[in-house]
Amino acid sequence: MFDAFIDGLFLVLQWKAFSLMLVGMGLGFCVGLLPGIGGAATLALMIPFVFTMSPPEAFAFLLGMHSVAATTGDITSILFGVPGEGLSAATVVDGYPMAKNGEAGRALGAALMSSLVGALIGAIALALAIPIVRPLVLTFGSPELFLLSMIGIACITSLSGLNLRGQIRGFAMGLLGLLLSTIGQERQSGSLRFDMGMMYLWEGLDLVPVLVGVFAIPELVDLAVRGTSIAGERPAENLNRGVMEGIKDTFRHFWLVFRCSAVGVFVGIMPGAGGGVAQWMAYAHAVQSAKGAKDRERFGKGDVRGVLGPGAANNSKEGGDLVPTIAFGVPGSGAMAILLGGFMIMGLVPGPDMLSKHLAVTYSMVWTLVIANIITVVLSLAVLNQLAKVTYIRGGLIIPFVLLLVFVGSYTANGHLADLVVTFCFGVLGYLMVLWGWPRPPLVLGLVLGKLVETYLFISVARYGFAWLGHPLVVVLIVLMLVVIIYPFVREKPAWAGGGD
Amino acid sequence: MKTKGRIYFCVFLICIAGFAVFSASRWSFKTGFFPLAVAIPLLVLVLCQFYFELFGAPEVSKGPAVEAEFTDEVAPEIARRRVITVFSWIAGFIFFVYVVGFPLTVPLFIFFYLKFQSEVGWLPTFVATAITWGCFYALFQRLVHLQFEPGVIQIWLGL
Repeated sequence: MFDAFIDGLFLVLQWKAFSLMLVGMGLGFCVGLLPGIGGAATLALMIPFVFTMSPPEAFAFLLGMHSVAATTGDITSILFGVPGEGLSAATVVDGYPMAKNGEAGRALGAALMSSLVGALIGAIALALAIPIVRPLVLTFGSPELFLLSMIGIACITSLSGLNLRGQIRGFAMGLLGLLLSTIGQERQSGSLRFDMGMMYLWEGLDLVPVLVGVFAIPELVDLAVRGTSIAGERPAENLNRGVMEGIKDTFRHFWLVFRCSAVGVFVGIMPGAGGGVAQWMAYAHAVQSAKGAKDRERFGKGDVRGVLGPGAANNSKEGGDLVPTIAFGVPGSGAMAILLGGFMIMGLVPGPDMLSKHLAVTYSMVWTLVIANIITVVLSLAVLNQLAKVTYIRGGLIIPFVLLLVFVGSYTANGHLADLVVTFCFGVLGYLMVLWGWPRPPLVLGLVLGKLVETYLFISVARYGFAWLGHPLVVVLIVLMLVVIIYPFVREKPAWAGGGD
Repeated sequence: MKTKGRIYFCVFLICIAGFAVFSASRWSFKTGFFPLAVAIPLLVLVLCQFYFELFGAPEVSKGPAVEAEFTDEVAPEIARRRVITVFSWIAGFIFFVYVVGFPLTVPLFIFFYLKFQSEVGWLPTFVATAITWGCFYALFQRLVHLQFEPGVIQIWLGL
């Protein structure tokens, strides 16, 4: 196995594979900066180019591109409040307020370094999981996956105010998100729900226009209202020091970064959960880790831990995603489903062969994740100072270009004018929510998890009736879910006991 | 005004939840179960919030919610005007996409916004518009081959 591990490294370092990885990284960098055109879409566009490549070259090209897109997606999230990748909205919640506070450099440094640490942990997890993955994945059936999704929903407690009204608003928004996820064709029977007679809604609401609308539009409106630059009248920070601070923050909060990376790996391994879930769960965990009400209050207003958690999880999940893809041919996300197409083109069959006959190729993927992320972060750190200066440009000059990014990103979801209308409507909704104190993160969490919750619930009931509620692992997960709900209250008892409600 | 707004928002959510309950209750069990399971507690929670907004004591402590806050450094009148202006630009963008299609809207939007909203000089406006359009064309139309729907004018002219 060790020989295969080293062979994998040499496969990536061959000049052709390495050059292709650099080309892929360049593409991934650009794609990551553009909202909406996520790594999955680019993978699909690039698949035809791998026909003439050998497997290590093809995977160096594709994975180099995909892993970098996940990293650079955080840059637009922090600088403009526009999720670089549709699902990477969790970084916006604290990253953009940091930019508004004149700490763009620090936020970017933290995002990139935590991404690197997350990617390394993901790659290590992938390398270690290869021999033991089978029993782990097979332990989790639909009931367990349903409960895992419910644990994600339970994170709403942490994302909402800890008084009675705060919790009501948070859970109401979470439920609204779940309700929005039911729009379109019901998967089991094919019946249409809440489609309003519009064919556009048959497929349900696409996440990208909704997320971009809910998060980017309100921030752009606020920027226009302030009439200043993103960082306002704050004195220009020492950007060099800011980036270094962000890097140091990653190691100051290393245990948090490690835990959030573990969340990312775990969610990645579970088929179907996707990157948005990993990011939001990591964000909620970062909020839970706050020491007391005062400390917790800083989240959403520019706390670096709110950047570190999602940044780490976003990249560590790439390693996790690859585990079921390689071991079983069960893609962990949309991007992995496309990568699976790459396997087929290369004549590789995911499964036992990848863990024995083609083990060196499998390990070359691990090395690609490691090397691509290291190069990206090192190169990005060199230009971060310049990037952070964007936050000091007059808002009036930034707004039209960011709006353009927002709308192009939304439009790419379905290539339909209605995507823009959805973005506009959710932009108005997001603006009113912030204005009147209704939290946006629970809405997004509900929307991201809604389809998973319903699907797994349906399969569980259809397969086991209600007997699944007695499965030992389900019971453990129910207890864990209750802990997730109750823990913030126990920790903050004085705050909510005397909260004025 | 803020309290009024919160009440209106509650009413809006009550309407959504009520509509969802009403619709889902008429569907088959398999189709309607999940939406009902979500919409009923949503309705209850929003009604509670509505009650608090109408009859509850003012919220002393909002609690440490994870959410951004808008600036309060601008006079409300000016802020309201600017909000309407930005949303008008956004709505205008969508309207232009409908009328002349996405590719033509991009340079028009950048040009008009920079010239008339941001009050940038003619030369920088032209240069910025040209560069933006060039990047847009090269990246999305030539490289990625994104398909953009034609506007009604192009359809009308048969282009």
